[in-house]
Amino acid sequence: MSAELKNISEIRRHFHRNEDPIYFISATNFNLLGLDEWCKNFKFISYIDCYGGKHPNTFVPSEQPHAEFQSIEDINNYLLQHKEVIDLIKRRGGKPKFVFLMFDAETERLSKELGADVWFPKAKLRQKMDNKIETVRIGNKAGVPSVPNTLSVVENYEHLKEICDKAGLGHDLVLQSAYGDSGHTTFFIKSEADFRRHEHEIVGEGEIKIMKRIDCRGSAIEACATKEGTIVGPLMTELVGFKELTPYRGGWCGNEIFATAFPPKVRQKARELTFKFGEQLRKEGYRGYFELDFLIDKKTGDIWLGELNPRITGCSSMTNHAAFAHADAPLFLFHLLEFSKKKFKLDVDELNSRWADPKMIDSWSQMVIKHTEDTVDIATAVPETGIYRMRDDGSIDFNRFDYHRRAVGSENEAFFLRILQPGDYRYEGADIGILVTRGRSMTNGFKLNERGKRWIHGIKKGVHGRPMPTAEAGPALADPAFKIM
Amino acid sequence: MELNWRAISEDEPGPKWAGLFHEYWPDYHRWWAREGPEARPGFLDSHKALRAHMPELLPLYDQLCELAGGTDHAARFLSFYCPPPYLSSCSQAIWPGAEPVLVRNYDYSPKAFDSLTLRTNWQGRAVMGTSDGLWGLVDGINDAGLAVSLTFGGRRVVGDGFGVPLILRYVLQTCETAAEAGRVLARVPTHMSYNVTVVDAQRKFLTALMAPDRKTTITHQAVATNHQERVEWASHARFTATVERERYLLQRLTLHVDPEEKFINAFLRPPLYSSRFDEGFGTLYTAVYRPQRLQMEMCWPRARWPLNLHDFHEDTRVIYTPEGSPSAAE
Repeated sequence: MSAELKNISEIRRHFHRNEDPIYFISATNFNLLGLDEWCKNFKFISYIDCYGGKHPNTFVPSEQPHAEFQSIEDINNYLLQHKEVIDLIKRRGGKPKFVFLMFDAETERLSKELGADVWFPKAKLRQKMDNKIETVRIGNKAGVPSVPNTLSVVENYEHLKEICDKAGLGHDLVLQSAYGDSGHTTFFIKSEADFRRHEHEIVGEGEIKIMKRIDCRGSAIEACATKEGTIVGPLMTELVGFKELTPYRGGWCGNEIFATAFPPKVRQKARELTFKFGEQLRKEGYRGYFELDFLIDKKTGDIWLGELNPRITGCSSMTNHAAFAHADAPLFLFHLLEFSKKKFKLDVDELNSRWADPKMIDSWSQMVIKHTEDTVDIATAVPETGIYRMRDDGSIDFNRFDYHRRAVGSENEAFFLRILQPGDYRYEGADIGILVTRGRSMTNGFKLNERGKRWIHGIKKGVHGRPMPTAEAGPALADPAFKIM
Repeated sequence: MELNWRAISEDEPGPKWAGLFHEYWPDYHRWWAREGPEARPGFLDSHKALRAHMPELLPLYDQLCELAGGTDHAARFLSFYCPPPYLSSCSQAIWPGAEPVLVRNYDYSPKAFDSLTLRTNWQGRAVMGTSDGLWGLVDGINDAGLAVSLTFGGRRVVGDGFGVPLILRYVLQTCETAAEAGRVLARVPTHMSYNVTVVDAQRKFLTALMAPDRKTTITHQAVATNHQERVEWASHARFTATVERERYLLQRLTLHVDPEEKFINAFLRPPLYSSRFDEGFGTLYTAVYRPQRLQMEMCWPRARWPLNLHDFHEDTRVIYTPEGSPSAAE
């Protein structure tokens, strides 16, 4: 077992015969969907059962009273203290390995209590890397440029304008606070009214990254920093801010993967920059999976660093299911390899150039469907997880249960993963589910295409809710009942 | 349940206030002495605490004690120093539109509520707001256009300090801007955890996260529900849905530029509006404060009651709270 793994075939075999119990612990298993089929003894521990108990490697403990979750970290920390989860881990034995989408120092403490290794760099290091301001610094060191920006504390709108005048950024701006996902901490500010809307998220929040607003497309690319070098996945498009999908202006709502997503020069450049960034991350002490957002200027094709997510992300399921992943191995397998302490040899350059070949990429798209209306009710029916079919008239119906997204046969089929469960609150911004289709969901002009819209409509039509009871307090148009004086 | 709501105005402490005191005192006395009067600080300590932390209020306090009959228990009660612990729920937020507007829901038991809007001109400063404990306020506004409102901070710890309604009264009696209020809130000790949001006529705002066991944090939060930075009392948080309400309000601030009316109406329906009247957490009223106009407005799902600081009309309303109706949070 201690022999060095010398090539992809041996690496794959190693994981097919893996004896270490490895767990992905998170709200759902979406991010690492399918990984259990590449790695023996890989289990998902989830909070939400997207499969109604029908996924063989997903364990969902029964709901116990818990504090209100304020983050995914809270969910993980709840799961790690759940008796049924602990019993499962003990029963299966071995030295458990945990991977997470998000975790904090408390998660690390609980993992240690359970005798488990966390197969990610320390939370503290990740937290530091995740800081937008730190990302700019690492990028600068690596030779990966960020959009013209300045970093400053912001007191008020006047102050913001002063800062921008000094830095020559103009007044059409994008602001980001140090932490957070796009859409939640990215603010588009052109006027005082825009500023007021986000004032509570800007003032008193420490250093803010203030960027000149450029006319660009978002893109995402995932990679894995290993001791043999940084392995780089394909450049994906981003679905951003479509009102059919998300109420968050500028918020991420899906991705597409296809060979010609961007011109060859841009793709090549993005791969090079990602490689350089990964090598710099290793120097900073970080290793393993990460994701970069690049902003690509629509006119000039200039490519700028947007954001670093030092973790797996919402588009990991795209990276890990493209044709190249099936031909060689999913990118996340190299993350597991890096943390397994297993000796391995890998020609990263060769792998990277193979993955850069357009033939290695087939076309997929995923859409994260949220409730976009300004209403609150309680979901009574939500389309279940499985494969759906679109009829010629554009309507859709449930075809069969499945948990494999690659089971989608044609562009007339889609895999839907249900997140919203009957009985849950349906509120603006609540996740209904994720829809994965073959082919594109956007036009060449980066608008939602007709087919994409039909799929969204079809799924949403299947969601029903019952209204919340509204009380009838008041009123009283009463005669003055009494006066005491 | 039927609440007889009153709006009363009296410039200087006088017969109206004395009448209110005698009406409410038996209930307050029972509540205040429920663990025995010896569980509460004595008069000397109470007076000393007021002198140390809110000296400007002392002459007013002495006057009110006199009107209340001058008894030891009444004076100790009126000092608001280390009262018995009490909880409420509540949500509050500042509208992000052009004009400063503070909107808040007060979620509490109708059985333990004064149903009283009081306007005073004590010490030459006009103040109106929702009265609690005869001279304390759970929300209010003064003639400088400073508006203030509290929510319970969702923590069980009780310590040496003042009941927060008096701290709000003190802020409105002595401050004109949010910055001044922030300095007072950072300094005065509270006996339980509260989130106090203030906004002034210039639209400067802050939320003070006050607690008896740690330093008050002054934040730039525009929203407060019933937890401080982290949920610390899980069952209370769950029961009052504080995290959901906060998330909902934050969405309202950033996703929409809601017109003022739409923003206010959001407080009159779930998830902000609570119908858990039976359990002590029903929404008793929604108050809207407009600092530049020196106005407040009381709102219910089917009624409105505008009140103006400089054109205040005494009046009454009967408000029916729907006990026994299905819980809004289920």
